[in-house]
Amino acid sequence: MTYFRKAGTLALILGTTAGTSTLAETLTVYFNAGHAYHTYLEVIEQFEADNPGWEVALERYQWPDMRTKLVADFAGGTTPDLVAEPGGWVTEFAEQGHLTPLGDFIEQDSDYGFPEDWQDSSVAKNTLDGEIYAVQIHLTCATLLYNVDMLSEAGFDGPPTNWEEFREVAIATTGGGKYGFAPNPSIAYYFPWLYQNGADWYDADAHEMTFGSDAAMEAIQFVGDLIHKDRAAPPPIQGADYEGPQKLFTAGRAAMIITGPWDVRPIKEGNPDLNWAVAPSLTHKEQRTMQGGVSLMIPAEAEHPEMAWELTKRLTAVDVEVATALQYGMTMPRKSWLENEEIANDPILSAFGSCLPYSQGTTTEISRSGAPVSQLETIYLGAIDEVVYGGAQAADVMPAAEDEANQLLSQ
Amino acid sequence: MSYRRKQIVIAYALLLPAIIYFTIFFFGPIAVELWASFYSGQPMVGESSFIGLGNYTRALSDALVHRSLSATMIYSFGSTILTICFALLFAAVLAGPTKANNTVRAILFFPYIVSFVIGGLMWRAILDPFTGILNAALISLNLPTQSWLADPDAAIWVLVFVSSWKDIGYATLIYIAAIQGIPGHLYDAARVDGARPTDQMRDITLPLLMPTTLFLAVTLGISSLQELALPYLMTGGGPANSTRLYSLHVYETAFQDLNLGYSSALSFLMFLFILLVTFLQFRLLHRDIRHV
Repeated sequence: MTYFRKAGTLALILGTTAGTSTLAETLTVYFNAGHAYHTYLEVIEQFEADNPGWEVALERYQWPDMRTKLVADFAGGTTPDLVAEPGGWVTEFAEQGHLTPLGDFIEQDSDYGFPEDWQDSSVAKNTLDGEIYAVQIHLTCATLLYNVDMLSEAGFDGPPTNWEEFREVAIATTGGGKYGFAPNPSIAYYFPWLYQNGADWYDADAHEMTFGSDAAMEAIQFVGDLIHKDRAAPPPIQGADYEGPQKLFTAGRAAMIITGPWDVRPIKEGNPDLNWAVAPSLTHKEQRTMQGGVSLMIPAEAEHPEMAWELTKRLTAVDVEVATALQYGMTMPRKSWLENEEIANDPILSAFGSCLPYSQGTTTEISRSGAPVSQLETIYLGAIDEVVYGGAQAADVMPAAEDEANQLLSQ
Repeated sequence: MSYRRKQIVIAYALLLPAIIYFTIFFFGPIAVELWASFYSGQPMVGESSFIGLGNYTRALSDALVHRSLSATMIYSFGSTILTICFALLFAAVLAGPTKANNTVRAILFFPYIVSFVIGGLMWRAILDPFTGILNAALISLNLPTQSWLADPDAAIWVLVFVSSWKDIGYATLIYIAAIQGIPGHLYDAARVDGARPTDQMRDITLPLLMPTTLFLAVTLGISSLQELALPYLMTGGGPANSTRLYSLHVYETAFQDLNLGYSSALSFLMFLFILLVTFLQFRLLHRDIRHV
C-alpha cells in the first residue's frame, strides 16, 4: 500500500511539474537566417525576461524556404505569430486575407511613432486599401560602391554621377584581369537602370508590362554594351545567390558594383584594407534606384497577435535600429534613425540613407494586382539574359518577351 | 477458417502498416493533388474555383512550360546516356581482377554519397570564372578562360556533366555486379570459336547486360526528370532560362506565384510524361534473356 501511495505522490508531483511547464506560452517567429543579429537576439531575451512564462521560438529560414513553409502553414491553418518578409509578400497575402490589419494596434500605441516616423514609401508599400498590414524593420536601397584606389589610379578624383561618366570610368579601370563594373545576375539589380532612364517594367494604371518600351530597352542595352561592346564588365556570375559582384569587388578585381547595405559587412570583413566608398545613385534622365528591405507581418490566424505586436515594437525601436545599423551596416526605415548623430557621422550608412528617399520598390505595384510575379520575372529576366549573356540586341528580344508577359498577365 | 484464408488474413494484417503509410503519405496527397489540378488559384489555401481541364489546356500553350520541358528532356537524356556509357566503360575495366580496382571503385562511388547540395556548391566554386580552379588551370596552360555557366548554350551541358559525375559511380557498381554475374563458360566458348575481346563485348556482355541497362535507364531517367536541386543551386534556372528545368518551374509556380491549382496540373503532366518515357524505355530496351 505504501508503495502505491509513494507512486501516487510521485505521479502527482510529475503531473504538476508537467502542468507547470505546459503553461509556458510560445511566440513563434519566422526570421531570415542572415538577419538574426545579436541586437535582435538581445531584444528577444529582454522580451522573455519582461514577460515571464513566455518564450520566443525564432525559426530562421532563407527567403524561398520561408515562403514555402508559410504557404503550407496557411494551408494547414497553423501559422506563426510574427513573420519577416523580404518585400512583395505583404500586399499579396493581405489581399488573400492571410494577414492581421494593424490599425487597432497602431491606434492604441500612438507614442510608438508609426507611421509618421517611417519613410513614406515603406508605409505605402505595406498598405492595402487604406489598411496597414506590416511594419518595415529594414529599409534598403542599392547604389554605387566604388574602389577609391582603382578610380584614382585611372585618373578619377571622384565617383561617376551619370551614365556617361560611369561608362568612361568602367572602361578606364578595366584591364589586367580587373573589370570596371561587375553586374549582378539577379533581376532586381536591373531596375536602377530602368528607373534612371525613366522606365519601369509594369504600368499599374494600364495593368500591362512595359519592359519593351524604348526607354526600358535602352537601359538594358546600356548594360549589355558594357559587357559585349566596351568589354568593361564580365557577364554576371550565374548562381542562386547574388554575392558574385561583391566577391569580385572585395578582392579588388572590380572597380564598381551596384549593391545595398547587405554587402557592407562582407566587404569589410573580406578585405579590411580595401579603400572603398559609397556614392549616390547615378542620374540619367532622373536619379532613382531600387528599394528593398524587410517588414514584419502578423498572420491572420496567429495565436498571439498582441504579443507579436509587442515584439514588433521592440524590434523596431530607434535605439535597436541604430545599434543594428552601426554593428551590421543595415539601413533602417525610421526618419529619426536617419537623423541620428551617429548614423549621420557614418559615411557608409549616411550615404546609403541618402538614397532611401528616391528609391522605390520593384514589385510593390504588381504584387497588388495578383499577377504571377515570379513567372513574369522569369520571362523578363530570360530576355535580359539574352542581351547580357548572349549579346543579343534588346530591341530584338524585349518586344517579344513583353508580348509573352502581357499574354500571361491577361490570363 | 481454412488454412489458405488464415494465410490471407495474416498477410494483409502484416501489410496493413505499409498500406496505411502509403495511403496517408503517398496516395492521399496524389489524390488531393489531382483534385487540386481542376481548380484555379489556391485550392485549400485561398480563393479558387473549379475550372475542369482549364489548367491542363493552359499548360499545353504555356511557352514557359514548353521551354522548361525542352531543357528537362536535354538534361534527362543527356545525363542518363552519358552516365550509362561511362559506367559501362569503367565497369568493363574494373570488373576483372585489376590492381587497385577497389580504390578506383571507391573514388568513382564517392560522388554518389556526397549530398547534391554539397556537390552543386562545390562545382559552382570550381566553375567560378574568376576564382574557380578550372579557369586557373586554363590560365596555367596559357589557354583562354571560360564563363562556364554564363553561356546559354553550354550551361545545360555543364549540369548534364555534373549530374553524370555524381551518378557514374553508382551505375558502375551495378554494371560490375552484372558483369560478374555473366557465366564464364560463355566467354570460354567464344574464345574457342576465335572471338576477340571486342566481339565478346558486343555479342555476349552487352546483350546480357540489357536488363541492367534497362534498370539504370529507368531509374536514372526518372530521377533526372524530377531534378530540382542542381539548377536551383548552380544556375537559378539561367542564363536565359536555359537551365530552367521542369521541377524548378513547378516549384516556382506553386510557392512563388502561389498558383497551386496550376502547379498541381503541371505535376500531374510530369507524372504522365514519366510514365510514358518509362513505358517507351521498357519497349525499346526490354529483352528476354536466357543463359544457355
